[in-house]
Order: sequence, then C-alpha cells, then structure tokens
Amino acid sequence: MAEEVKKPEEVKKPRKPLDPNSAKYKLGKIASDAFATAIEAKKQGRPVAWVSSNFPVEIPETLGLATAYPENQAAGIAARGAGERMCEVAEAEGYSNDICAYARISLAYAKLKECPEQDVAMPDVLLCCNNICNCMIKWYENLSQELGIPMIMLDIPFNPDYEVSDAEVAYVSGQFWDAVHQLEDLFGLKWDDDKFEQVTGFSCRASRAWLEATAQAKYTPSPFNGFDLLNHMAVMVTARGKEEAGEAMETLLKEYKENHEKGESTFRVEEKHRIMFEGIACWPYLRATSRGLKDRGINMVTTIYADAFGFDYNSFDEMIRAYCSVPNAINLEKSRDKRIKLCKDNNVEGLLVHTNRSCKLWSGFMAEMSRQIGKECNIPVTSFDGDQADPRNFSEAQYDTRVQGLCEIMEANKEAKEA
Amino acid sequence: MIQDTIRKFHEAAASPRAQMEKYMAEGKKIVLTAPVYTPEEIIHSMGFVPMGAWGADMELNRAKEYFPAFLCSIVQSILELGIRDAYKGASAIVIPSLCDTLKTLGENWKYAVDDIKFIPMTYPQNRKPDYGIAFTKAGYERVIRDLEELGGKFDPEALKESNKVYNAHNAVMRRVDEALAAHPEITAAERSDIFKSAYFMTKEEHTALCEEFLAELGEAGAEDKLAIVVSGILTDAPQLNGIFDDMGMHIVADDVAAQSRQYRTDVPEMDDPLQALAVKFANMDNCSVLYNVKKPRVQWIVDTAKERNAKGVVVVMTKFCDPEEFDYVMIKRACEAADLPLALVEVDRQMVHFEQVRTNLETFRDMLTM
Repeated sequence: MAEEVKKPEEVKKPRKPLDPNSAKYKLGKIASDAFATAIEAKKQGRPVAWVSSNFPVEIPETLGLATAYPENQAAGIAARGAGERMCEVAEAEGYSNDICAYARISLAYAKLKECPEQDVAMPDVLLCCNNICNCMIKWYENLSQELGIPMIMLDIPFNPDYEVSDAEVAYVSGQFWDAVHQLEDLFGLKWDDDKFEQVTGFSCRASRAWLEATAQAKYTPSPFNGFDLLNHMAVMVTARGKEEAGEAMETLLKEYKENHEKGESTFRVEEKHRIMFEGIACWPYLRATSRGLKDRGINMVTTIYADAFGFDYNSFDEMIRAYCSVPNAINLEKSRDKRIKLCKDNNVEGLLVHTNRSCKLWSGFMAEMSRQIGKECNIPVTSFDGDQADPRNFSEAQYDTRVQGLCEIMEANKEAKEA
Repeated sequence: MIQDTIRKFHEAAASPRAQMEKYMAEGKKIVLTAPVYTPEEIIHSMGFVPMGAWGADMELNRAKEYFPAFLCSIVQSILELGIRDAYKGASAIVIPSLCDTLKTLGENWKYAVDDIKFIPMTYPQNRKPDYGIAFTKAGYERVIRDLEELGGKFDPEALKESNKVYNAHNAVMRRVDEALAAHPEITAAERSDIFKSAYFMTKEEHTALCEEFLAELGEAGAEDKLAIVVSGILTDAPQLNGIFDDMGMHIVADDVAAQSRQYRTDVPEMDDPLQALAVKFANMDNCSVLYNVKKPRVQWIVDTAKERNAKGVVVVMTKFCDPEEFDYVMIKRACEAADLPLALVEVDRQMVHFEQVRTNLETFRDMLTM
C-alpha cells in the first residue's frame, strides 16, 4: 500500500477587501442585492415576478414589482457547478436534453424550489418577452403550468427587415399597456407616469454609461479584460431601471478611462491579440475559457453584449423600437453590421464563435454571418462547441485547439503586416 | 375504384417535383410554403400555386455549411433541397417565423439559395386582441407586396373566392379524418399519402380527389386493429408508417402539424377578406407553435383519444423540435392522469434505421394488447 502523503495545508492569501467606491464592489452588490431584494419582498408578502432578460424592465420597475431573472439565476447556478445536477432533475421530468439548459435549470428550480448555488424568491407572476427567442414562450408556458401562476406575454417577433416597422411598434405598444393593466388588476398596483419617466431616465443613464464603458476597448491595449463584461452584464439585465445601476456604470466608465490614462488594464498580461467573442459565455467553464485566451495574451475586447443591453431612447416609441432591436430579434444583415462596427471600432483581429447548444436561434445563422463578418473585417473566424449552462456539451481540448489555431493565424497576420 | 384514388394520392405525395413541373408546364408560377402555417389563401388568390416545402428524408450535406447539427432536420432538409436545386423554378418561398429554427431558415435562405426569393411571414403570438389581428394583417400585406413584385396581382374579390376554396378543402379534410377513424383497412401509409398530397396539388384538385375517395370509401371496415392517436410535427416517413401498419395500428385521429392541425380553423365570412384571414389566424389554437398559456392542446389530445376510442397515444417527436419537446411533458402527464397509455418515438429526416422506433412501438403494442 502506498504511503499516504500528507499534503501541506494550502495557505490562501487573504483577499484584499474591495473598495466600496469601486465599480466592481458597486456592481457586485447590485447583482447580489437583486436576488436578496426579491427574497425579502416575498417574505413581506409583496408580489414577485420572474422576468425574461429583455422584457421591458420599465414595467415592473414603475409598478414597484419585485423581480428575479431566471436566466441570470441559471447562469449563476451553472457558473457555480450545479448546471448538470439541475438539468438532470428536469430531464427526469421528461424534458429533453436538447432543450435550452437555462430552461431546464429553471424548470428544475420550479420543482425543487431550492438550489443552494443560487436561490431566488418564488414568483407570483411570469413576465415573458420573446425578443430573444421563442423558446422563452414555451419555457414560461410550462413554468406557468408547473407553478399555477399567471403569465404575461409580451410578444416581440423576430424582425426579418432591417428597420422596425410602424406596425410592429403599434403591436408591441398595445401589448405594453395591456401588460401594465393586467399587472395593475392582478396585484392592485397603480401606474404612475412620473415614476415611469424617472425609471426610463435611470434605464437610459445606465445604458449610456454601459455603452460608453464597453466602448473604451477602442484603445490599444484595452483598459479592461472583456470577461469583466460578462459579469457586469448581470446588472444591465436585472437592474438597469434602478438609479444605483447608472451610478455604478458611470463609476465603471470612469475607472476604464483612468486605466487608459494610466496605461493600466484589468487584463493583467500583455495584450498580444484582440478578439470578439460571439455568443453567451460557457458559464460552467468560465475559468477554462478565460484562461485559454489569457494564457495566449488574447483579450476578448468586445462582444455583442456591449450592445445588447444598451437601451437608450428619447421617447416611448423609441423605447419600443429599442426592445424590438435586441440582438436575437434582428435579421442577419442588421446583426452582422452591428458586429462589424464593434470589430472595427475596437480593432479586433479575430472572431471566436461559441456554437451554443442551448441556443438554436443564436447558432442558427451564425455560420453565414460570421463568414460575412470575417470577410468584411479581414479577420480569421473560428468556432467551438459549448453550452451556456450544461457542462456535458463542452470539450476543453477542442476549445484549446481552436483557440490555438485562431492565435496562430492572428500571429501570422501580424507578422505579415509588420513585414 | 378506391385503389385508383389511393394511388393518385400516393403518386402526388411521392413526386412533388413532377407535380411542380406539371404546373410550371401549364404556365403557372410556384410559391413554396414552409412549415407550419402560411397564408396560402393569399398566394392562391394572386394566381400562384402554393406548394408545401416540409423537406425530405435525406442525408444532409450542404445545409451543414449553414446550420449546426442540433437544429431540426425538417428545416435543414428544406435548405438542403433549396441548395441542391430540387425547388428550381419556384418563384419564392414563404417562411413564417413561428419557431426559432424557422427564423434562421429565412436568414440562411437569402444567401444559400439566391434564385428563389425569401418572403417572410411574421405572425404575432398575441394574435387574438385587435392589435394582434392588425399585426397579422400587416404581415399579410407585406407578403402581398412581395408577391406583387413577382407579378402577382392582389384583388380582394379573388381572395374572397380563395378563402372559400380553402374552407372547402378544410371541410373535406376534416371529413376524411373522421371517416378514416372508422376505416381500419386504410393503412397508415395511405392515410399519410392523403394528407401529404394536399401540399403538392391545387386545393381544388385535392378537394375533388378527397370527395371521390369519400364516395368510394363505403361501409366502415371490420378489421380489428389497435386504435391510436398520433401527435407530432411530421409523420410522413415511409418506414414509420410501415411500422404502424406492421404493428396493426389504426390512426383514428391525429394531432400532427403537417396533417389535421392545418384544417381545424376556417376563414370566417367577413366583408374584408384579408381581415377575415387575419381573424382565422387569431382563432387558431391547439398547436405547439401558437402561444396559449393554458395549453388546451394537451386536453384536446386526451379528449380526442377518448372520443375516438383510442387505446393509446403515440407522440412522434421530431428531434430538436423544442416547442414539441416542452409540450411533451404536459401531454405525458395528462395522459397518465387520464389513464391513457402513451409512447414516445423520436424521428429525424436523416434517419435510415428505424429499429429503435420499431422496438418501442412493438413494446407499446404488446402493452396495449396484454
């Protein structure tokens, strides 16, 4: 029998407490408060809504309805390693493992009503908007059945045209007010125009700061590590209609500007290459996917998320048009042009595409679109297979090989340019 | 002779290209209609021949340049056929955005198949309120504009007539479905041909052939078969229907998107035929791609199975079809609660070996006959 070797106890360096005035602290607090506030509201007997990520937050915020975001919860659960366990609970109920892993995790939570990796308040109503996918409709229909609670559906169809039509604005506006009236009737809430104006102000303020902060990647080197955006994005999903979100995003912008002035960055190694990352993060493998880039000096300087949650508008109609123009609701040409702009504005040298098994819509025309982006920007494109929350659909070896290949092409391109 | 009529259904169902060429030789223009619902009445009224494009059982090759493997093979095979010129000569394809995969089909089509125009049809999910009906109508107007660019002419009076033609076809298909419930001697393969051929014939011709068939059908058959209800998106694979027949199963009703779901709702009589067509869509229901939080489809399956004295329900799941995969859990529970046996079989347009389906259905048959 081999002699047992006692490993010396690992001594972890105590983490320096975060400066409460830093963007990281403020954003982290807003993100964690989002869950805690809804849990507290529930305890006090106030109604809680589960809300899809691109539902107009202006509605629950104005009405003072406590909210929780199942997509955000599922991402948290997956990042903390419980994605597979929760998916299996849903699969045991009969849900196919082909279904979006966020939906499977959420439906598992609806059954178990607890998950230590990320608990949320149980809902009294479901606010669904399908501007990111129609899968959302089916997921929320089933939640409504499983939990026996009402669902309010705000349908924003996929727009096959480049511009949002007046007919679509009229259709979505009609639904917007119907949703408001349904919530008023359900919970005895009252719509207040002044509050609405205040909320839209907060939402636009947060959006403007977010868009400007993410645009700081225009500098070389970038003043931030693009993986930061994946974390900060949670605030844009859950709290963009709150005053503190705008303030925290402005702090983030200030820090990025200061980083640039001082020649600093949250990307803590030499920035050899700059890429755009396409698709939702592989939450179960966030570290592996981040390290695979960082070890090669590749900074993911931009992603469509920089655009996805930037809801800046000057009127009610413009607000509706903004919700009709989120990334998964727009046609290939508009999706492509937004990405080309991001690539060009941020001096991107390569495109890394996450072919996300959970997201049929995102992945369904990605091959053609990324070919067009690669051609227009004259950059190499590579893809890897993964999943936003189900760890069974990702191979670290494949990821590493693909990133290595991308890196080699970018190096060769650089050498050719210098020569 | 009924066998002649059945053979005509089979020939049309098995030879869409020949049908297409026949119409083109008559000087008619073809407009393809993708799953699940399209405003065929408009296409018909503007002088085109609408032909269903639900893909084919085949190996996917070129479509892989556009789609990842985990997308529905019906949709992938539509693109594959488009790239391979199987639809050559068609003027346009109307693709609705009723599921996520269909949304991506249209976007890919624009670059993969450049000689057949993509016409999007954007339906609302909140289709019943006035604003939903108005949005459906706006979607139809967009289709009309695109068809006008192809030389079609819109005339409300012609649409009124086309609405009648389609209502008459709906009615005959409902009668066929009801009649077949009492005729176990008509095989699953023959039943499939009757429904499938409707996509490749003008509605006038198909209605006439169905009338002929009903007239020839005669007295209810006496064969003792196992009555089942089939649910799913598409059940036209010859191997699948062959297995139903080998197992002595008699489809007494279907909840299949490519079959009876098409014919449940008529265009109401109204002064404005386009408004009437939008109201028809508002009235449609009981389908996985039409939002309804109460999911009445689930109870519809149970009730229909009871009404038609079915012994069980077979859910034919098209792999990667998430609208159906979500509904399946509710269907399973409702059937369990109603003490109605249920089997799930998974199919795919690329499937060559159906042995797993056979084993599943054999076990199901044994269970039902025990």
